[in-house]
Amino acid sequence: MKKLYVLIVSLMMFVALAVSGCGSATDSKPAAGGTATAPEVKAIQDRGTLKVGVKVDVPKFGFKDPKTGQIDGFEIDLTRALAKKILGDEKKFEAQGVTAKTRGPLLDNGEVDLVIATFTITEERKQSYNFSDPYFTDGVALMVKKDSGITDLKGLADKTIGVAQSATSKKAIQEAADKQGIKVKFLEFGTYPEIKTALDSGRINCFSVDGAILYGYLDDTTVILNDRFTPQEYGVASKKANAGLAKIVNDTINDMKKSGELDKLMQKWGLK
Amino acid sequence: MPGPFAGFKWLALMNDWSVFAEGFVQTILLSALGLTLALGLGIFFGLLGTSHVKLFKLLNRVYVEFIQNTPLVIQIFFLYHGLPHLGIMLPVFVVGVLGVGVYHGAYIAEVIRAGVESVPKGQLEAAYSQGFSYWGAMIHIVLPQAKRISYPPLTNQAVNLIKNTSVLAMVAGGELMYHADSWSSNNLYYGPSYVVTGLLYLSLCFPLATYAKRMERKLEVSS
Repeated sequence: MKKLYVLIVSLMMFVALAVSGCGSATDSKPAAGGTATAPEVKAIQDRGTLKVGVKVDVPKFGFKDPKTGQIDGFEIDLTRALAKKILGDEKKFEAQGVTAKTRGPLLDNGEVDLVIATFTITEERKQSYNFSDPYFTDGVALMVKKDSGITDLKGLADKTIGVAQSATSKKAIQEAADKQGIKVKFLEFGTYPEIKTALDSGRINCFSVDGAILYGYLDDTTVILNDRFTPQEYGVASKKANAGLAKIVNDTINDMKKSGELDKLMQKWGLK
Repeated sequence: MPGPFAGFKWLALMNDWSVFAEGFVQTILLSALGLTLALGLGIFFGLLGTSHVKLFKLLNRVYVEFIQNTPLVIQIFFLYHGLPHLGIMLPVFVVGVLGVGVYHGAYIAEVIRAGVESVPKGQLEAAYSQGFSYWGAMIHIVLPQAKRISYPPLTNQAVNLIKNTSVLAMVAGGELMYHADSWSSNNLYYGPSYVVTGLLYLSLCFPLATYAKRMERKLEVSS
């Protein structure tokens, strides 16, 4: 019994430490240089590099080329624009691969300043992080095997759909399925390649994620259905406390929208 | 500022407690069946390892070395994604039971073998001299002594087995870790999610580990 008590106390201490650790990290940042620059932005400028969490497994958005080891894509170009805005040099950023599971913690512990990783904006998530206005909107799509003969969502009745763990696509498909009065099952995987593997091995009948991402996984044996569901809006996420940084990001994105720069980037990556 | 452990995140978790309960039950079921399989395989192959027949010994070595020297993750991945290409589609629950069962079976085989071999040779020889057959000697003389030595490490294997069921999260196994991942990657309330999940695993493993400690102490006193 005594052991259990010690254990619980040490666990509580650990949690308290983790929480206070986060707090002090924000407090210890250098004070604002002027009224215009927020402390966290100043900290990035002093450091001289913008740390960003990006996807490395989503072709066209953030994809690490296995041959060159370079990460590139639409979201990387967006990162370049933000680095230029904050640091005056589009090369001054460090990209780090994130997954649905790691992007939240990495923001909270300050490992990354921003997450630009096909991060869908939801009300629930806004309670934990700042989201910029959407820089990309896309509907959820369905990919099936060609030889399955499935042509629409109805054809997936009582079938299994594989989704990623950041499961906004699950909700979208579930709603559409409810409307059509059909039942579908879901299996969640950590990364997109895993879902594709599961589709190949027949574990799932359908791979569902936002359309533009899905196109990166299209091959000879698969086909993407024409249906699109609930538009998903991607936003740049930052730590809730870093309001100044969030504002700069948001202004930059809105400027890019107005100037047509964002559209140009989408065209460059074939996303329009 | 809402940190990873903000109050409303704990409330959200309490509202969705059934998600975690479902995973918890699945983890217990997986562990129980996995352990049964592991014990069966472990005792069978462990005894093969103590045999004097070369072929039996070889079988034991192949099984133990092959399983112990490849990661559980790969074995699960093969069962889940590999076998369907060969036309064998095992339900994910069976993949889980087979995966952890076969994996820990190899470790248990070593525990059993070590237990049997730790019984002094003289015991078996004495039994033979009293007219015991090989199996008679095993069942009445050697195994009861081996059992005492094997128990504590066996319990450790049970603890490890429970923890290793979390590997199933990778292949949408529907157990505790999968539900924790799924729930927290959706709303990003990962703080409470993983603390509670950790505590749930602890609540399964800690009593077992304590039980092992107690038995170990008992053994020291008696020997």
